[in-house]
Amino acid sequence: MSLDVLGFISTYGVFITLVACIVIFAVLDSRFIEIDNLRTQLGLAAPLLMLSLGLTVVLAMGDFDLSIAGTLSACAAAIVVLIVNHDWPWGLAVLVGVAFGLGIGAINGLLVSYVEMPSFITTLATFLILLGVEYMISDGRNITGAADMPDLYRDLGIGKPEPWTEFTSPVWIAAGLAIILWLLMAKTELGRYMYAIGGNPEAARLSGINVKALRALGFVIVGFAAVIAAVSQTARTASSIPRVGISLLLSAYAAAFLGAAASRKGLFNVPGTVLGVIFLQAVQSGLTILGYDRDILDISRGSILVLAMLLTALGARRR
Amino acid sequence: MTATAPAASSPLLEVSGVTKRYPGVLAVDDVSLSLEAGQIVGLVGKNGAGKSTLIKIIAGAEHADEGHLRLNGESLELHRPHDATDAGLAFVHQDLQDVGDLSVAENVMMGLGYPRKMGLFVDWAELYRRAADPMVRLEADIDPREPVGELSVAKQRLVMIARGLAQQAQLLVLDEPSASLTDEEIEHLFAVVRRLRDDGITVVYVSHRLEEIFELTERVIVMRNGQLVADEPTASLNRSSLISHITGHEHAQTATERRASRRVGGRPDTEVVLDVDGVSADTGVHDCSFDVREGEILGLGGLMGSGRTEMVRAVFGADHRREGSVRVHGQEIRDNHPAESMAAGLALLPEDRKTQGNIMDFSVRNNITLASLDRHRVRPRVPAPLPRSEKQAADRRIGRLSIATPHDRQLVRLLSGGNQQKVVIAKWLEQGSDVLIFDEPTIGVDVDGKEEIYDIMEELAAEGKAVVFISSEFSELVGVCHRVLVLSEGRIIGELEGDEVTEPAIVEICYSQH
Repeated sequence: MSLDVLGFISTYGVFITLVACIVIFAVLDSRFIEIDNLRTQLGLAAPLLMLSLGLTVVLAMGDFDLSIAGTLSACAAAIVVLIVNHDWPWGLAVLVGVAFGLGIGAINGLLVSYVEMPSFITTLATFLILLGVEYMISDGRNITGAADMPDLYRDLGIGKPEPWTEFTSPVWIAAGLAIILWLLMAKTELGRYMYAIGGNPEAARLSGINVKALRALGFVIVGFAAVIAAVSQTARTASSIPRVGISLLLSAYAAAFLGAAASRKGLFNVPGTVLGVIFLQAVQSGLTILGYDRDILDISRGSILVLAMLLTALGARRR
Repeated sequence: MTATAPAASSPLLEVSGVTKRYPGVLAVDDVSLSLEAGQIVGLVGKNGAGKSTLIKIIAGAEHADEGHLRLNGESLELHRPHDATDAGLAFVHQDLQDVGDLSVAENVMMGLGYPRKMGLFVDWAELYRRAADPMVRLEADIDPREPVGELSVAKQRLVMIARGLAQQAQLLVLDEPSASLTDEEIEHLFAVVRRLRDDGITVVYVSHRLEEIFELTERVIVMRNGQLVADEPTASLNRSSLISHITGHEHAQTATERRASRRVGGRPDTEVVLDVDGVSADTGVHDCSFDVREGEILGLGGLMGSGRTEMVRAVFGADHRREGSVRVHGQEIRDNHPAESMAAGLALLPEDRKTQGNIMDFSVRNNITLASLDRHRVRPRVPAPLPRSEKQAADRRIGRLSIATPHDRQLVRLLSGGNQQKVVIAKWLEQGSDVLIFDEPTIGVDVDGKEEIYDIMEELAAEGKAVVFISSEFSELVGVCHRVLVLSEGRIIGELEGDEVTEPAIVEICYSQH
């Protein structure tokens, strides 16, 4: 009987920790579960969710992408500079950003998949290059320009497309991306092939799967996700903050790994990543409401990550 | 049958009444045996007969539910693997468990600690000197400084044996030690095992290759369904009586009898399906040409390292084909890439099911449909698989190939070796290629499983498929092939057809160039 309890905890470790956190925060301060806070938090979490979702695809195939932080930062700076300083039409600026993100993804994919360079160090290199590019564009300064930004662009960040839930646009965009990538990963042939590559690339290749093209595609997808995260972020704050991507990078990895820990088979997966992002955001929001500072916040997030992994590891050992 | 002769002095290892249950399975059922010092004992049985579990219990990796062990007359309590090592028991597993990046010396001396200089620094010179000792005893020409990962499989196994010697082992268990070794390397391994026996070490030799059991061992222990069913001097057995013990069936066929009873004749007079012309590759394949007809089973014989695997990999496009052409139904495959070959109707069932055949963390179902996923679409133009349709296909294959799995959602990792091999076969049968290349499909598969795999190949041929069959057990080729090509050093050096296909004839061609 006691073993069954342990089994239950290990299978649902991440859920249990999340529910426990929500209950504790709600008991300590009821503001935590108010609808306004929910709206705000989802809006804040949306760019992280977009980035994490893209990352999930790459991780599922057994690769890493660190450059996403650079892509996000550089695109954010470029789009804001083009709109605010150069009076470009916002649509064109976004288009340039998307092309840029896809291009970076393609380069990463080419180097990792076709030239067969290790993904960790390759994307670390492109990450550094992109940080330099971002610095060239922004001069390392905050660029703000709420007044110079067209309302339509701001709507991408703070607009509320429907009057019922009053969730902001990024929430819907992130939800849309989540559904598309969930369908891709869980329901299509391509998704199956991607997991096969993550499981055993050689067996996948000998089964006729185009391993190189799919691995490269993963990097393109995460590049695209980084760009729309940049758009949401800059449209919401009407500014580009230097190195905005770096703070999101570690959270994105944490969310994806939490999601894998939450899945029965320990695989990176889209619903799990969504859960992971919600988890991280809930902890951040709860602790902020309770008046804790950044230091406690980071320590708590790290500890919770360890706890969730620990519960999962216990389960894996039992199996 | 479990004759435990009363000995004057106590035996080296005594196993009495050992029983181990897993949920739903009685893995080891009241097994008693005793091993004397300085013997070579064969341990044989089908996959799932309980050999591995028994070994794990002796190694302290599993706990017996009942029964106990005695070493030199004293009760042996094993709580963790280290206890067995300390007691003088050493194990060399089929999957090598060495640390590839560390040197030979470090692997040999692993678990014994590093010698120190001034109490702090590792005394490398001393470490190499100490490790050289067991290597000399094994007459192994291996540099103790070399990283183990750079060595051949045969030498890596010797390193593992040397580790046992360094730990003063009295009992050495070798699990399928000859897998992927060349004939010459196997000879050396045998010499090593005999020398250890002469030094008073007891060697338990686990193998599915019965020839080796007869050549090497003095005594054979046979397990079936968890029970010890025979424990006899090797000299009192012959191949057919040993197979009857293993399978529990009365009579076992020899390859020649099988060939005769199945009326395996020459190649059928049908159309050529696979036509290979002048294929060469940088992996050591030189100018290979052959063809296979509809309904033909073509065997590829040769010694280990003769280039059979390399040749079929080049034909399939798994490795780059430098020269030559491959045609299926007269259509040339221009791009050499597995996907192109598959589209043309070619399938390769690779040698190593763990690293090349299966996605071990996928379910049986998802492995079976992996190469033919586009046939299970929700709608013809929507590239999304329909689970119901996949399940039907998987269940059909599980039934027809009698894959032992609780359900189609079971992870392939959790199946036995023979069943993992059947999953690979199922995948390619589903894919429906016209030419199927089986590379050593029966390695690590028990006697019954092998027979099933021959049946599968014969059924495929009867359906008009062309089958290419690579095996290092020539008796298998004799049992099923219409025609056999013999390779050496990446070249085809001989061809036998119909009545010419006999074991001696294959062996003679193999050695004609040496």
